[in-house]
Amino acid sequence: MNEQEKKKYLDEYKKEKEKGVPFFPDIIFKDTIAALLIFIILAALAYFVGAPLEARANPADTTYTPRPEWYFLFLFQALKYFPGKLEVIGAMVLPGLLILLLILLPFIDRSPKRHFLNRPFASISAFVVVAGILYLTIASVREAPPPQEAIVVDKAAALYAANCANCHGPSIDVPVGTDLHQVIAAGTHEGMPAWGGDLGTDEIDALAGFILSPNGSAVFTKYCAVCHEQPLVASGNPVELQRVFDEGVNYPSHEGIEAANWAESLTDTELNGLLNFLAAPDGQRLFVINCSGCHGQAVGYNGTEEELTELITKGGQHLDMPAWKGTLSEKDMDALTSYVVDPAQNSGGATLFGQHCASCHGNKVPKAPDKESAIKIISSGGAHITMPVWGDILTVEQLDALVQYTFAASKGGGPAAGANLFAENCSDCHGKSGQGGLNPSRHGDIIAPISSSEYLKTRDDATIRNIISFGQPDFGMSPFGAENGGALDDEQLDAVVAFIRNWESNPPAEAPAANAEVQPETPAAPSPNLTSLTGAQLFTIACARCHGPAGEGDVGPAFNTKEFQSKLDDQALFDMISYSRAGTDMIAWTDKLSKSQIELLIQYIRTLDPNYAASLTYSGRVSAILEANCNTCHNPEKLRGGWDSTSYQSLMTSGDNAPAVIPGNAANSLLARSILGQGSQMPPIGSLSQSDIQVILDWIAAGAPEN
Amino acid sequence: MLAKIGDWLDERFSWREVWAAIFERKVPHVNWFYTLGSATLFVAINQAITGILLTLYYVPTPDHAYDSVVYITTQLPFGWLIRGLHHWGASAMVVLTVLHLLRVFYFGAYKYPREATWITGIILLLIVIGFGFTGYLLPWDQKSFWATTVGTQIIGLAPFVGDWMLRIARGGRDISAVTLARFFGTHVWILPATLAALVGIHLYLVIRIGITGVPKKDE
Repeated sequence: MNEQEKKKYLDEYKKEKEKGVPFFPDIIFKDTIAALLIFIILAALAYFVGAPLEARANPADTTYTPRPEWYFLFLFQALKYFPGKLEVIGAMVLPGLLILLLILLPFIDRSPKRHFLNRPFASISAFVVVAGILYLTIASVREAPPPQEAIVVDKAAALYAANCANCHGPSIDVPVGTDLHQVIAAGTHEGMPAWGGDLGTDEIDALAGFILSPNGSAVFTKYCAVCHEQPLVASGNPVELQRVFDEGVNYPSHEGIEAANWAESLTDTELNGLLNFLAAPDGQRLFVINCSGCHGQAVGYNGTEEELTELITKGGQHLDMPAWKGTLSEKDMDALTSYVVDPAQNSGGATLFGQHCASCHGNKVPKAPDKESAIKIISSGGAHITMPVWGDILTVEQLDALVQYTFAASKGGGPAAGANLFAENCSDCHGKSGQGGLNPSRHGDIIAPISSSEYLKTRDDATIRNIISFGQPDFGMSPFGAENGGALDDEQLDAVVAFIRNWESNPPAEAPAANAEVQPETPAAPSPNLTSLTGAQLFTIACARCHGPAGEGDVGPAFNTKEFQSKLDDQALFDMISYSRAGTDMIAWTDKLSKSQIELLIQYIRTLDPNYAASLTYSGRVSAILEANCNTCHNPEKLRGGWDSTSYQSLMTSGDNAPAVIPGNAANSLLARSILGQGSQMPPIGSLSQSDIQVILDWIAAGAPEN
Repeated sequence: MLAKIGDWLDERFSWREVWAAIFERKVPHVNWFYTLGSATLFVAINQAITGILLTLYYVPTPDHAYDSVVYITTQLPFGWLIRGLHHWGASAMVVLTVLHLLRVFYFGAYKYPREATWITGIILLLIVIGFGFTGYLLPWDQKSFWATTVGTQIIGLAPFVGDWMLRIARGGRDISAVTLARFFGTHVWILPATLAALVGIHLYLVIRIGITGVPKKDE
């Protein structure tokens, strides 16, 4: 446009304006109508269609077909025509040129012509570009894969996305031999939190399966999740899984489901992945599921890794138990068989078991129904229990992980090696489960439990190692470290420490409180090797001789009377026990018993009160215990596990796995199980005191009354 | 009374002059296509208002973004409406901006004396696309995550500087909490500020120069 043309345009525009309309209200009116129309359309879309939201972002989900938003689709589609090195042309050069062209348009097209028919080149070019973009967009939409039919979400993948992906990215490379379940549940020292509090065992299983076998998770989602939505994992037990695949439609719960012949319908790779997902190749977990039923926590094993592989793979063929008749003396045989029938009552056999049996049986004492059959089995030996042929049952990965774990655990530093050493060197004084007992080297002295969480929490590994190595001459414990003249070398010391430390996460099988629950009224015979010392046992050791086995009174006064119970408060009782009483045979127990042991005793003595049962109510004793130990996390605001322990009503009814309390049934009440450390240990920071546990157990057993 | 207040204010603001310049100015006879520009502005205001409301509840971190969006959509009174308007408004912005551009192009309105108006308009189009691109990631659902993955990959294709630009866009190798923080910051601070400034210039030019009439056949 030259100056003349510019002037002409301006003049004409001025005339046009004068003939025109005022901006307000004419134009504003039209604009308002357009705006209103658009708003109605938007609101209708919001109401009828809504803003879509898909599943939470999951960087690990490689099956998701990534697509850009619709107004980038044309670009996305264009890229397909520029393969390889040419991609940059489609992605950068062409769009860049288009934008440049748009910006420079007024300077390129400087003709005065304005009507689109009078500038055909520009009009047609623009039309071609717009049509091209439309075409590419439509083509892209058409080429889009049909939306996935399966609405079933890969729950394990979703769990991973929600909990792990933010730090770990799409996948985790887990070193072989990692106790993945343990790492997830307990966290690591490198900043990974412990998930055990937030995630259930099912969820941790699913996560471990997903991490170690993401493809298996996809197979599960595709074929199994339709029915097996809950629990996340059908069954973590490989033997059961083997049945599922062997029996197909004949497997009891799969009857009539045609697709259930999985062994045929799945490829080997899918099957393998699926098995690895359902029972993750995590050695420690596999050991717990597959082996601990017979072998306990760990197995002492002295062969090579190859031999172990073969042993596990071939299973039962190797499991011939030697005939012990002739090897054991009559007396030993008697002690051992009694022990096998009832370990709790016949602790004398524990040492024998440790010497002769533990190398194969680990610390799990096989259960014999009666003494006769026990004598028969032990005398004759033979393959009385057949170990499964694990080679047929486990996948290669699972077998690898299991062997690795078992081997490592039985060798250096593992709890298994430590278990044997402990049985040989320590259990005579400290008890099989470190529960303590009478001190054989100092008359009247009692060795406190070393397996309690209290003890373990307050001593680090180095301290325990030093105690073992240097001994505690003041208390009659001789040095065990080789450098101090003892029998254990450095490696063995570490193994024992590891074994002892292991009690912290896996309290000894015979948990003291569990025993106390079963038989609070009939305290066990005074045998220090039984269990760690509960109030009942302390009573038997310290008080029963004078006050009667049930506190009914003998030389000393009776405890099971209202008079006695009401006469002395806890403090008076404490003083009474602690200091000797002139004119009686009562000695000062403060030399023999720790403060907490005396408190345990008092607690036990209180249960002898005929009114004890009456005090077992929520308002009476339970609410105070809950308030001190549970309410911090289980309150209406925090609501961990969905459970609110702040009121009777809520504690009985709330919770993800409600009810937490089944009146009259302590054994199956979640609250009881949790405080006993069965399942997840509660409170997570450490067990309640024995007396508090006892009160809660008795309260539940008494029907969990409120008042 | 009202007139008195008006007078008082006029003495200080000269608002009558401003009002006259903007609203009483005469414009040529135009058709409905000419509402596209103001419609775009209207949707932009809609986006600003709903966007501000959304930021009251939205949390731009990977562990909370999704949950906060779920909360807005399902729990918050009228949250579904706010988010729905914002979501669909985003698409409407792109559609209306492009249609407005085509109207201007086919009516020859980019020509003298409105070249500057056109150029600011093109930049505004790029900003709108930037809004869409950054806003898409914020809900942190599968679609956001993967659409952004693909989108940022395209940035990475640029010769020489592609890898560098990709890492700037993502704040690292992968899409992460940093990416989300960057996209959120861009979406709610950088782009709105730029948009507001450019819309101001764009409107000033439109009012100062006036809109074109519909070209006649001989023009």
